[in-house]
Amino acid sequence: MTKLPDPKITPYGDAAIHLEYEAHGYSAAANKAVLSLAHELRASGDWQDVVCGYHSLVAVFHSHRLTSARAAKAVQDAVKTGRKTRKARPHKVVEIPVYYGGENGPDMEVIARSSGLTEAEIIKTHSAELYDVCMMGFIPGFTFLSEAPKALHHPRRAAPRLSVPSGSVGIAGWQTGIYGLSSPGGWQIIGRTDLQIFDASRETPFLLSAGDKVRFIAAAGISAGGL
Amino acid sequence: MIKVLNGGTQTTLQDGGRDGNRHLGIPGSGAADKLNFALANYLVGNPWDAPALECTQGGLHVRFTHDTTIALAGAEMWAQINGQNLENFTSVPVKPGDILTLSFARHGMRSYLAVAGGLLGDEFMGSVSTYLPAKLGGIEGRSLRVGDSLKSAAPLGERKTLPRGYKPYLSSHVILRARPAPEFEQLTLESRRHLFVSAYIATPQTDRMGARLRGNKTEVQTPRSMSSSPLLPGTLQLPPDGTPILALVDAHCTGGYPRCLQVIKADIWQLGQIGPGTRISFRRCFLGEDETALSQRTEFYGGLMDGFRF
Repeated sequence: MTKLPDPKITPYGDAAIHLEYEAHGYSAAANKAVLSLAHELRASGDWQDVVCGYHSLVAVFHSHRLTSARAAKAVQDAVKTGRKTRKARPHKVVEIPVYYGGENGPDMEVIARSSGLTEAEIIKTHSAELYDVCMMGFIPGFTFLSEAPKALHHPRRAAPRLSVPSGSVGIAGWQTGIYGLSSPGGWQIIGRTDLQIFDASRETPFLLSAGDKVRFIAAAGISAGGL
Repeated sequence: MIKVLNGGTQTTLQDGGRDGNRHLGIPGSGAADKLNFALANYLVGNPWDAPALECTQGGLHVRFTHDTTIALAGAEMWAQINGQNLENFTSVPVKPGDILTLSFARHGMRSYLAVAGGLLGDEFMGSVSTYLPAKLGGIEGRSLRVGDSLKSAAPLGERKTLPRGYKPYLSSHVILRARPAPEFEQLTLESRRHLFVSAYIATPQTDRMGARLRGNKTEVQTPRSMSSSPLLPGTLQLPPDGTPILALVDAHCTGGYPRCLQVIKADIWQLGQIGPGTRISFRRCFLGEDETALSQRTEFYGGLMDGFRF
């Protein structure tokens, strides 16, 4: 693992502490550091919420237990100890069948044009990778994955769609991810899965959590979820 | 039991919320204005976080089928029981057949109807708070509509009156104390100044998730793309079109736009009284001032309501 520079730690309003690693594009090392730090902080009862970004973290402290200054110190200390004791935590690998292209992936053509690849090549490239689940967020079940292969990078749509169906698999810049729920959104959609990443009625509502790994499997057929 | 005769603009069941799950993409939800919600519960002898109805903008009509005690707090909505005016911040007994009607909100946006014992709803992750985008909690995860009925739990405490000085001040011009958020320095100098001196108006694109604000154009010096990062209720984000979005109680847990300001904790309850047309000003809060404000307010209201925190 490349050596990380020290993160920047600042107050976030009067309720939270913000920590950020300087990163240009995707940094797997920074993401791993943030996830393990979050894991460590959650073990103490001082925090109401510890939320991760790709390379940053916001830790909301219980104000009856910590002051802002003490909370910042606690995050700093956790960074120090984390550096010494960081170890790989158990994770699962989840295979996700995706119906690529057609009605399920309305932006396939956009990616084909910008990458110069055929649809079949895009599917092959996108599903060849073993992705890390870097963070969950935005809305329940939205899965933010590690960097997509370079050829597939593409900016978000200029105007977001009013509704992107649940299970849609998309690309935004170097990010790739899955919409856990139907939601407005600006990602370039290349496919869709039937799997419910989030289902409140299931015993385990979340199929994935940060730190897991995901592999997409190109599914046969033309439609997902009887669309 | 409470029978819903008219759901109004948007009425949802809310409690203290399901904090602690933002890393899973689940916002805290709960009452948008936790202070007025807690006061309504206080008046009927409930714990501060007992499930109650949050009526947005107005229009809620209900009929009671049992003897109980109710109280309203928050936005002033010209409430009546059987045509007799009902003051906010007073608890009153109701009997079977009584009809409560809420008219339209003046001063503020959300009113809380608490019933002795608290109301019952679908629980998810330890809370019955309704979160509409994922259909969680409440009644089937949706807002109330005609024909719904809600049960209440057995009353726990005595009916109370609100001591003088505890009634929160509501205005159609909301002043929020705020501190710079992580990307504040990316704004132009002019925008940084505007943020604290000019008023914004919440546009019709305002709900429990967020308020789109109209006002002086706010800009960053050099636009750069950001990877998705956490945000909290009370974070002011700046999308490329220059119209800021103020994150409210059901806000997305992460976002990809520069975060300019964060409203201080003692003022977060006021976010729940923002609706289309509300004027909003941000006042810069200095280091230390926020913690003093919070501890004083928490002591004040915490002394009245056990366990209540801003």
